[in-house]
Amino acid sequence: MAWKILIVEDDAEAAAYMARGLIEEGHVVDIANNGRDGLFHASSGLFDLIILDRMMPEMEGIATLRALRAAGTMTPVLILSALGTVDERITGLEAGADDYLVKPFAFGELVARLSALMRRQRDDGSAAETRILVGDLEIDCLKRIVRRAGQTIDLQPREYKLLEFLARNADRVVTRTMLIERVWDYHFDPGTNVVDVHISRLRRKIDAGFAVPLLSTVRGAGYRLSADA
Amino acid sequence: MRLPRIPTTFRIAALAMLLVLCSNLALLAFIHIRTHNDRLTPLRQQVLADASALSDVYSSGGQDELKSTASDMLSADSSGLAIGIFDRSWNLKAGNILLPVSLRPERATNFEIAPIRLKDGRHGEAGVSVLRLGHRGWLVSGRLFGEQLTLQRAIERSLALALLLSFLFGIICALILAQFVRRRVAQIGQVVDQFGHGDLALRAPMDGSSDVFDRLAGRINGMFDRIGSLMAELRMLTDSLAHDLRSPVSRLRAKVERAMTTSEGGDREAELATVLQEADALMRILTTVLEIGRYESLSSRDQFSWIDPGEFLEEIGDLYGPSIDEAGMALEVIRQGPLLPIFGHRQLLAQAMSNLIDNAMVYGGCGGAITLFAEQKGEGQCIGVADRGPGIPPELIDRALARFGRLDEARGRPGAGLGLTLVQAVAHLHGGRLELASVEPGLRAMLRLPGSVAQQTLPLNEKLSGGFQQG
Repeated sequence: MAWKILIVEDDAEAAAYMARGLIEEGHVVDIANNGRDGLFHASSGLFDLIILDRMMPEMEGIATLRALRAAGTMTPVLILSALGTVDERITGLEAGADDYLVKPFAFGELVARLSALMRRQRDDGSAAETRILVGDLEIDCLKRIVRRAGQTIDLQPREYKLLEFLARNADRVVTRTMLIERVWDYHFDPGTNVVDVHISRLRRKIDAGFAVPLLSTVRGAGYRLSADA
Repeated sequence: MRLPRIPTTFRIAALAMLLVLCSNLALLAFIHIRTHNDRLTPLRQQVLADASALSDVYSSGGQDELKSTASDMLSADSSGLAIGIFDRSWNLKAGNILLPVSLRPERATNFEIAPIRLKDGRHGEAGVSVLRLGHRGWLVSGRLFGEQLTLQRAIERSLALALLLSFLFGIICALILAQFVRRRVAQIGQVVDQFGHGDLALRAPMDGSSDVFDRLAGRINGMFDRIGSLMAELRMLTDSLAHDLRSPVSRLRAKVERAMTTSEGGDREAELATVLQEADALMRILTTVLEIGRYESLSSRDQFSWIDPGEFLEEIGDLYGPSIDEAGMALEVIRQGPLLPIFGHRQLLAQAMSNLIDNAMVYGGCGGAITLFAEQKGEGQCIGVADRGPGIPPELIDRALARFGRLDEARGRPGAGLGLTLVQAVAHLHGGRLELASVEPGLRAMLRLPGSVAQQTLPLNEKLSGGFQQG
């Protein structure tokens, strides 16, 4: 599915690098190289996603974002900034950003996050799913019951939360930092393999004894829950 | 209208002068009043009595009677009585006053002090009274000062001189004092100047008197010490940053080189993946250095919220439990006694705990158990991590806390020696501190958060909103 993406970024090289990658993925990309132009383009409401830098000439990223939200434009915004401390991230999210990614970043991480943003955008429109199906895995979000091939799987609360997040982003790559942020609500990089261990435990519970593994590791990027991994 | 600023040294000098003058004046005035009243009052009464008696004689018996009474009184007296009867143009008609030198007033005076000379040669100051005898002349009567009175007059003159001298001394004293203040301040100022020009070893001289100047010098030295240690830390930081970044950068370089010379597609990709890993690790070091600097200087508490220490530890334990388990260790969470809520930065506290757990997993490896604990200590609330590893000897604890500080045994392992420094920065941000203690066996790393952070039971904004609801 092709999205229309606006990149607001004053570093022409970085913008071109992102644009090239996103176009290869099949999306349509526009670039604005300062905050004011970015606000002007974004206000049109024609974009599915906005990637916003913070430190820019003419108009700073946070100010641009505030102006955009004040004008009622609710296009999902991902802030992409070198300002990476926890406080900076929270400032960005509080100003109305939907996600925050710190430079330098892995391109895979950017795509994974944009993808998750698009999925959330779609979900917000309709009522949240109460039952998720991934292959023969079935998640009942109200009763918090997980079954695979009709067989109930016993999960710890955190494991359930992890699985639900993966399932809501089924067929998409989910990165370790995304999991830390969304499942545990921590905005720092634990550095060690804590997430990997959680994933491998979850994998043992849902995949062990089944012919088709659902939870796969995407090298250098993250994980994916998918029926045809 | 603003008065022009008076220089402080001048003010001090003027004050000192004024004080000297005031104290001397008070002393002189006291002496003057005491002696003056004691001696002069009887003389004055005597002179007035003489004058009134003579005046009575004149009004009853006329000038002849007056003259005879006067000569009677003079011959009977031996203590310096002076009487003179003059005509209108001040020629002596009778009596013993020769030269009423300056004493030719246009009108009568009750009592005054004037120098006179008597016929028998005696002369000196006297208390005199001048009366008018109708239109025909003047009656001057008086008494020479006795020895004591003369002495007292001399004292009074000396007092006037003393006053003048005390004024002079006041000025001199003030100048010396001002000079002293100026010199002391200039000494300190000179040291500050030289320090400012880069001589960081210099300290303001202290004489141990603990007066204001000494205390000022002490405070300035305290500031110099702090600046000096910050500069030293900064220098050490940049040195060790450059030194410690050298090895990952050279590893990175070596890997890029190897990837360039590898022709096989698959191998090359694997090499590039390790390059990426190295770059990420490098990035993490830089991010941590930046964060430490930021947290050390951060004063805003925008992101602070109330945290239940028990829940907080459970959450951390939940994240780390499986990893600790995989590493062959056990995780336990111990909550001792009643816990106070912590007003703090959840993310940063979690990051700090995460670093402590990482350390415990790497260095506490052989012991088998990691404990997350929370306990109330004194006014404050403590949270921390304990392991059963070899611990750190007390003499090395400072080094373990320094930026890039790595104990020799840890040199071979991954890490940049920033973990504990970051934890310390987070503790400082909360107004607390990081304490390391070796407990047999193992290391106990504890974030001690102060009472003001932990003990306030109601957050301020809740109090405020409560107030609004009432009003």
